[in-house]
Amino acid sequence: MANQMLPAQPVEKQQVSFWYRYKIGRILLYTILTFGAIVALTPFVYMVLGSLLTRGEMLNRKIWPRDPIAGLNNYVQAWNEANFNEYFVNSIQITTITIIGMLIVCVLAAYAFSRIKFPGREAIFGIFLATMMIPETILLIPNFLIVNQLNKWMAPLGLPWLNNWPSLTIPFMASVFAIFLMRQFFAQIPEELWDAARIDGAGHVRFMVQVVLPLSKAVLFTVIIFQFIGSWNALVWPLVVTSKPDWRPIAVGLYSFISEAGPELQLMLAGAVITTAPVLLLYFFTQKQFTEGIATTGLKG
Amino acid sequence: MAQQSAAYGQRGRMSGARKRAITEAITGYLFIAPASILLTVFGLFPLIYAVYISLHRWRIKKGPFLGLKNYTKALGDPMDILWFAIGIGLLIGSWYLWKSMTKERRTWAMAAKLLAVIVFIAGAWGAFTGMGKMIESGDQKMFEAFVVTVFYAVGIVPMQLGLALLLAVMLYQKIKGKDWYRMVYFMPYVTITVASAGVFRAIFSRRPESIANQIIGLIGIEPQKWLQEPHGIWELVFGHFGVNLQEVFKSMGVDSFVAFILAGPSLALLSIMLYNLWVFVGYNSVIFLAGLGAIPSDLYEAAEIDGANRWHIFRHVTLPLLSPTIYFLTIITVMGVFKAINHVLVMREPAAQGTVDTASLYIFDQFYLSTRFGYASAIAMVLFLVILTLTFIQNRIAQRRVFYG
Repeated sequence: MANQMLPAQPVEKQQVSFWYRYKIGRILLYTILTFGAIVALTPFVYMVLGSLLTRGEMLNRKIWPRDPIAGLNNYVQAWNEANFNEYFVNSIQITTITIIGMLIVCVLAAYAFSRIKFPGREAIFGIFLATMMIPETILLIPNFLIVNQLNKWMAPLGLPWLNNWPSLTIPFMASVFAIFLMRQFFAQIPEELWDAARIDGAGHVRFMVQVVLPLSKAVLFTVIIFQFIGSWNALVWPLVVTSKPDWRPIAVGLYSFISEAGPELQLMLAGAVITTAPVLLLYFFTQKQFTEGIATTGLKG
Repeated sequence: MAQQSAAYGQRGRMSGARKRAITEAITGYLFIAPASILLTVFGLFPLIYAVYISLHRWRIKKGPFLGLKNYTKALGDPMDILWFAIGIGLLIGSWYLWKSMTKERRTWAMAAKLLAVIVFIAGAWGAFTGMGKMIESGDQKMFEAFVVTVFYAVGIVPMQLGLALLLAVMLYQKIKGKDWYRMVYFMPYVTITVASAGVFRAIFSRRPESIANQIIGLIGIEPQKWLQEPHGIWELVFGHFGVNLQEVFKSMGVDSFVAFILAGPSLALLSIMLYNLWVFVGYNSVIFLAGLGAIPSDLYEAAEIDGANRWHIFRHVTLPLLSPTIYFLTIITVMGVFKAINHVLVMREPAAQGTVDTASLYIFDQFYLSTRFGYASAIAMVLFLVILTLTFIQNRIAQRRVFYG
């Protein structure tokens, strides 16, 4: 009897301890993950709650706004004081022009690099990639002088560059990153489709517009989102090439609101919410494509 | 006759194919023309132009040719630079000598090794004293900006990659709400830099009720000045125990630049590094997740059959196969630190006394605030050389350490 019991006991003990360890591990896992999520979210919560506080509540170190609806006044005040109306429209215009131009320039280049054979193709693509390694800081000063010169040439023709859309958009239209991503994608489109299109008498332009682009919605989408965030985020370059609010984008608007006016904290937080809301909304609606887009960039690096 | 027409036919087809190849090539060049023109004007030409600018006195308008004067103003006396360069050369030489002798067992090899050690010491001495003299005769503020950049990079890379890897490995398990966690972790990366940096300015405010001060208050530390604190963190830690590190350095006769290094990154810089962590850990873990997903599962199964435990699997299967991702993220992160301007511009306070100014920000200041275009370009070229050297070294290390499946 005792002999029969003996082997059974350790097994059961082992099972219990295994189950126990598994559970502890699970709890630890969720604790750490949730803690990380809290750390990631706290600044957002702080931003939104703080933006709804009244001046008195902020000074009295309150955390929760007593009257959030009245707190919305901060948004109106920040919007008017920081001239966000104008900056917002500017940012939308700059972003739209950049995205359209970038799509035309980069789709053409990516298509050529993936589907058209011409001498020196790989070498030229290599040079394109190499330009990605040059830090913007180094290009900042010469590019400012180049844009200045272009301004001198083009202003008499009715298209000034400084304080105007060309300097804010045209230099960003050739995005090597976008060309790189799209080239990878276009190259995967089966050769048979091209053969069939050619038999039907289609050239490269028609094949690109009618076959390749409809098949590449995912990558086009990724590229557009990245450009959107890039344009919405730009600070130093717009700061350098604009001296008047006429064409300043919203990031510059918020920066001068923070640094020059030294606003009350609740107004600054309201300004931060206004600035970042469009991008966060875009992210929430598209986050699946978004994270996948990021992931592929990492893998190919 | 038949032969002849066949030959004609062939030649006709040949020239047709050649014609098509030529139109194909022309189409290709036309397609890449817009991108090539833009990249040449705004990406490649500026690089040469920057060299040209750096050789002139250039304050908004071009001034006289200065030769290398802007460089010597930044880096110090040419003799000191030469001294430093010879020192570095000797260090590299001794390294190769030592490496080539490690397999030899003869007596002369021992002598060569001894020589390598002597060369190494001489090189280290030369590089060190040369560096000291360069800092003395050059732009100390610039050297400090480079030190700040190094502090920033060295501090951020292990913390950021370590935390991101931890989160990624955890998210890779079967857990509920995985997508939800991933979405939340990624939010900081999407947020507009000026906005989030502005929020962190409030979080790391010197006011006693700021979030940062309340958190350290929980473990009983008195409120700190955070973004307005120019003193190094080691200085603050020693100060907490009643030792004034700067006084100690002064009594030991330590040079002010060395004292700057020994005091450690300022608390203001540390705050900015924490902001950097907050922004990028989620982004890095999403990329790690993709890397983990690319590891074939039969490798795990094989390791399990061989009786490896979880740690062994992680150490000997996961980590080596992730090394390309780790390498990629390290480069991205280091480059990011060298490029860091936007958030530092928003978060820096005059009270931080330039202890947060990274190399890029120092260049921006020289250019935008002081309108020294020529001098700023010279420092930018120095920064470019530093980045190229770092990339080269990283590549060399990667060749040995990175394991591509």
